[in-house]
Amino acid sequence: MAATVTTSLVTATEHDPDRCESEEETRGAEAEDSGQQQQTGPVTVSHSRLSKLPLARIKALMKTDPDVALASQESVFIIAKATELFVEMIAKDALVYAQQGKRKTLQRKDLDNAIEAIDEFAFLEGTLD
Amino acid sequence: MAERPEDLNLPNAVITRIIKEALPDGVNVSKEARRAISQAASVFVLYATSCANNFAMKAKRKTLNAGDVLAAMEEMEFERFLEPLREALEGETLKILSAFKDILINEQARLSGRIEEKSENVKSAASGCISVVLKTAELSAELIKLGAG
Repeated sequence: MAATVTTSLVTATEHDPDRCESEEETRGAEAEDSGQQQQTGPVTVSHSRLSKLPLARIKALMKTDPDVALASQESVFIIAKATELFVEMIAKDALVYAQQGKRKTLQRKDLDNAIEAIDEFAFLEGTLD
Repeated sequence: MAERPEDLNLPNAVITRIIKEALPDGVNVSKEARRAISQAASVFVLYATSCANNFAMKAKRKTLNAGDVLAAMEEMEFERFLEPLREALEGETLKILSAFKDILINEQARLSGRIEEKSENVKSAASGCISVVLKTAELSAELIKLGAG
């Protein structure tokens, strides 16, 4: 399906600096921060936001799981995107506690409060330093 | 050779940018909070992967796919992510098809130049092939937009 198209085309568009399949991320976050515009050619499909997390790093994380044999390009992309949504969500939920404390700076304790209070974050309990 | 989860943190600059874009202007984030969120994000990746992999194994597949990840999100009670994830998947596929079309159009132009001296039959055959593939790409894009993918 689209997965096969994805694999064969990623090699074709290797010249694109924003295709993170290669070890692009070793150039560091600085490259991502330089405000490079994302262009794949004269025609670009615009949609809200592309995943900014480096896919190579996400894939490496996934592969630390001994039960994971192979992961499709799409799955790595989707996990990266989901992680982005997760970061947004936890930041916003923690902010509520900072605001309760009449603060404009998000602190570690706000994170801890959010994790304790919100069911979806239960998996994080005991995992953070 | 195998990297440990502890060594694989997500880039600080990217995490910081995602946090800043999620929060209203004027809100700051302490270094400790940022570090904790980054760590939580790594844990999320591992948990989501494990969950998704269970679905793949249940289906007797060796390769984890996007469907497994979506199923995992539901299992993890992150249903709110499903719609934006599906849209992102669609957008990404459309982007790839669009890049594919550009490559084909360039190839078509290049071939037209190079086979000028060849017979009309060869030219029209080559052109025809490219048109078919272009049309396929267009139809695929339409199908994806219709959500039939």
